[in-house]
Amino acid sequence: MLWKKMLRDLNEHKGAYIACMVIIIIGLMVFTAFSMMLENLQLSQQTFYKNQNFADGFASVEALPFTEVKKLEELEGIARIQGRFVTDVRVLFPGREDNVYLRLIFLNADEQNRINDMLLLEGKPLQEGDMNILIDNKFYEANNLGLNDKLEIIAAGKRRELYVSGVGTSPEFIYALRTAADFYPSPESFGVAFIPLQTLQTLLPDKNTFNDLVFTLEPGVQYDDVEKLLEYELKPYGLRSLIPRDDQTSHLLLSEELTGLESMSTAVPVLFLSIAAVILYIVVQRMIEQQRGQIGILKALGYTNKETVFHYMSHTMIIGLAGGIVGTLLGIALSYPITNLYQMFFNMPLLKGEFSTAYYFIFGILLSLAFSLSAGYLGCKKVLNLEPAEAMRPPTPPGGKKVWLERIPVFWNTLTVQGMMSVRNISRNKGRSLFIFGGITFCFAISCFTWSMNDIIQKMIFDQYEKVETYDLKISLAAPLAEQRVLGELRTFPGVRQLEAMAEVPVTLQNKWLKKDVQLLGIAENSGLYHILDKNGREVAPPKDGLLLSERLAMLLDAKPGTMLNVESILHGSGSWEDKKLPVAGIIPQYLGLNAYMDLHALQEFLEEDGLTTSVMLSMDEGTIPRLQEEYRQSNLISNMDEKGERIRKLNEMMESFGSMIYLYSLIGIILGFSIIYISSIITTSERSRELASMMVLGMTPPEVLSVVTFEQWFISILGMAAGVPLASLFMSGISMAMSSDVFTIPPVISTYSYLMAAAVTVLSIWIAQKFAGRKIRSLSLVEVLKSAE
Amino acid sequence: MPGLKLTSMIVCPRTMKGRDETVKPIITAKNLCKYYKMGEVTVEALKDVNLELYESELVVVLGPSGSGKSTLLNIIGGMDKATGGELYYGDTPLHRADSNQLTFYRRNDVGFVFQFYNLMPNLTAYENINLSVQIAKNPLSIDELLEKVELSDRRDHFPSQLSGGEQQRIALARALAKNPRLLLCDEPTGALDFNTSIQILTLLKDFCRTYEKTVVIITHNTAIAGIANRVVYLKDGRLDRIEENQNPLPPERVTW
Repeated sequence: MLWKKMLRDLNEHKGAYIACMVIIIIGLMVFTAFSMMLENLQLSQQTFYKNQNFADGFASVEALPFTEVKKLEELEGIARIQGRFVTDVRVLFPGREDNVYLRLIFLNADEQNRINDMLLLEGKPLQEGDMNILIDNKFYEANNLGLNDKLEIIAAGKRRELYVSGVGTSPEFIYALRTAADFYPSPESFGVAFIPLQTLQTLLPDKNTFNDLVFTLEPGVQYDDVEKLLEYELKPYGLRSLIPRDDQTSHLLLSEELTGLESMSTAVPVLFLSIAAVILYIVVQRMIEQQRGQIGILKALGYTNKETVFHYMSHTMIIGLAGGIVGTLLGIALSYPITNLYQMFFNMPLLKGEFSTAYYFIFGILLSLAFSLSAGYLGCKKVLNLEPAEAMRPPTPPGGKKVWLERIPVFWNTLTVQGMMSVRNISRNKGRSLFIFGGITFCFAISCFTWSMNDIIQKMIFDQYEKVETYDLKISLAAPLAEQRVLGELRTFPGVRQLEAMAEVPVTLQNKWLKKDVQLLGIAENSGLYHILDKNGREVAPPKDGLLLSERLAMLLDAKPGTMLNVESILHGSGSWEDKKLPVAGIIPQYLGLNAYMDLHALQEFLEEDGLTTSVMLSMDEGTIPRLQEEYRQSNLISNMDEKGERIRKLNEMMESFGSMIYLYSLIGIILGFSIIYISSIITTSERSRELASMMVLGMTPPEVLSVVTFEQWFISILGMAAGVPLASLFMSGISMAMSSDVFTIPPVISTYSYLMAAAVTVLSIWIAQKFAGRKIRSLSLVEVLKSAE
Repeated sequence: MPGLKLTSMIVCPRTMKGRDETVKPIITAKNLCKYYKMGEVTVEALKDVNLELYESELVVVLGPSGSGKSTLLNIIGGMDKATGGELYYGDTPLHRADSNQLTFYRRNDVGFVFQFYNLMPNLTAYENINLSVQIAKNPLSIDELLEKVELSDRRDHFPSQLSGGEQQRIALARALAKNPRLLLCDEPTGALDFNTSIQILTLLKDFCRTYEKTVVIITHNTAIAGIANRVVYLKDGRLDRIEENQNPLPPERVTW
């Protein structure tokens, strides 16, 4: 019988229960889908690393003779070390204008059990002695290649042909970026290929050394234990960089993504389930107030406390169970498509992690039940203390009370009587007011911060290309050349309006024990193509007697203007490794990249390399860019041509996919805001139906009556939104700290536009919820409500 | 049958114009019916009720529980709609009014007093009255009303700090404050003790006289009938009879 009563009770409050179930479903869906995906990705990563012998450390050098590698393997702590020659070459696809690059990794094809070996997916393994390559699957797919296809490349200034003999995937390029300045793998224009070492001589006749090393460590040995040793050994060979696995770009980005997923897969469900629990608590509590008399009768009939409490908890149990089942099932279903989505960015073979499905199904349901049952218990435990006789008497009427706001006459006197009721209602049920307040605060903060992210990334990227780097084309040289020679040659090219030399010098900056490897940019005095901007957007001249540091770099080095930094560079003309010192001349914001800046000529002087130039920035008539690219496509003096238009196009594509995430978060915000306001509205209407009906009888229109409820909600919501401002900032600085890297820095600021958008989203969700609640008021039956004593 | 040719029998109490057809009733009900569908069964709460209410008369509607008193009052007050028949407020056909028009009818022309007061628990006495003053076109003075119901000293008290009688007086003041032409009271003394009830009835009578308003009181307490100008008897949803009181008693002389 009670079972039947419960089903009817559920039906009576179906709006609230459905809203609650939706929230549980969303929470569990995120939990199951993300947890399963996370587990799958983590396991896949570990297995992939293990099977392919992913390196523990990476080194890059100028030139290391082939024979020297064996010696390095004898170093204490090093398990294995392998030499490679790594270079980027341009690929010529007939009929394509854009720059396509292939990173060729020359390695000993006969060596067994290679470090960072490609996992062969198709075709045959690498063999010494021919021009065959093993190519990465993403590039292969994106460019519609087939096995035995011919790829035309430019190597040492000559057109060459390579043959695709196999397709594979490498643990080193799970997230394949060509340069640290890219954010996004772009498989159609960048790929990786393994090629036998013997072909190095054929393709690049002047290269006969390794320039890249990968190594694994002996068990129990830490990277730090071998760093000094390797640094010492490799210095004579022109050590460029030496990094542990943790700093390897692909690994770093994948790890960060996994960490992000991990926190998301716990934070979002906990948040949603908590909200659902609060709603269930409120609904059950209200139901118990309403059914006081019925509870009295149940008890009088001889139902035990346990049975009565169980009856009321069964309501939440049903909701928890139903939400749990639907949520986990949807989550399981969703985990496959989103895992595939991740595979678009993170290229590794996925394990079929179906073995955990049952675990997550059961765990998800238990989780949902735990939340909903505790909410139910807390909501109905009052039943326990109710004596039957007392239960059948109506509860003591709610006492009216003055609130402190009434002591502010300026405020109080502007209110209508409905307004006064509303304000007093806020303190009438403090818990519920707090619930609305918290919910709206959160709804506002989440929308605000997501819009802001979008906004800031836009700003970050487009400012960089519209205000800072205003050139149309940047040509990077394969090796430093003399300024006059390069400028002289390019100046006469048709369509060139302006050109400037630039030096991008890898340096190690050190302050006390803090060290950072960065690119030091030498910019021409009065540059018209590269504008260094300060915090207020004013142009700053590159200093002649010191360095400009980006804010993040200054923070990492704990440097202030005036701090003396040790500057160490492999491009130093004297060839000496002695540290030279430069003072910090100023600190500027920089969102993309992590750089130090100096006047070009001052830098050349400092390095004792007169006229040193590593790249050229050009401003050109748009139509002439392809001609220039065509002209120099085969030059071996040029390593890269970066056309701004192409980069902006790619960034825009990326922003689009980012945009959908923003909408998703905003949708979460709207759902939260809506359900909180909707639930509180229908509870309020049912609780105060008598008061609301009395007002209708007095002749107030439904909108006027609704205004008592809505005024209260708006009042709390405005306070909630105000509290959302600092919360959003807090989110933002958290995200900024967590996400800022050497690639980009997210400034922890929130734009006015984002505040407005967040307010709009919040207001919209409140407004929709109130529209729904308004229908409830219109359907109040005056006669029924007023007929009897409560 | 009683109720069929009522108009001809009614003597308008204040003007005593007898059968004078020129005095127009403010409420005219013709063959008013109200049915409720309860599953398979149709409950007839009101059947063919014909009734007219005139300016500044005090009418008591008597009848046992379930006789349709409240239903009649709710329909007259625009809180409920009749299933059949016609209802006019002056010349305005209320049976054709939509809910919006009914709201404005209640707002401008009707005052309600209930058995269980229905005050707003979180508004003070003064503010409860102000709630209706705020929406009225031509309200009475709140202070004057508070004085009349002898609660000026309780103006800042919340309902929970007032006794039942005091709450009902505030509810009455709230209904009167709008200055309605029609005051409808559903068992206004039903929850009160004898002395307090007399107090309320005195106020109602007084209001009817001083402000020349029409007051309808629903009750099952026959003793109250003595103060009315006319007494309407309902039985099983039908109008049983109407009695005219040539000399209504002052409320203080009523006993039960």
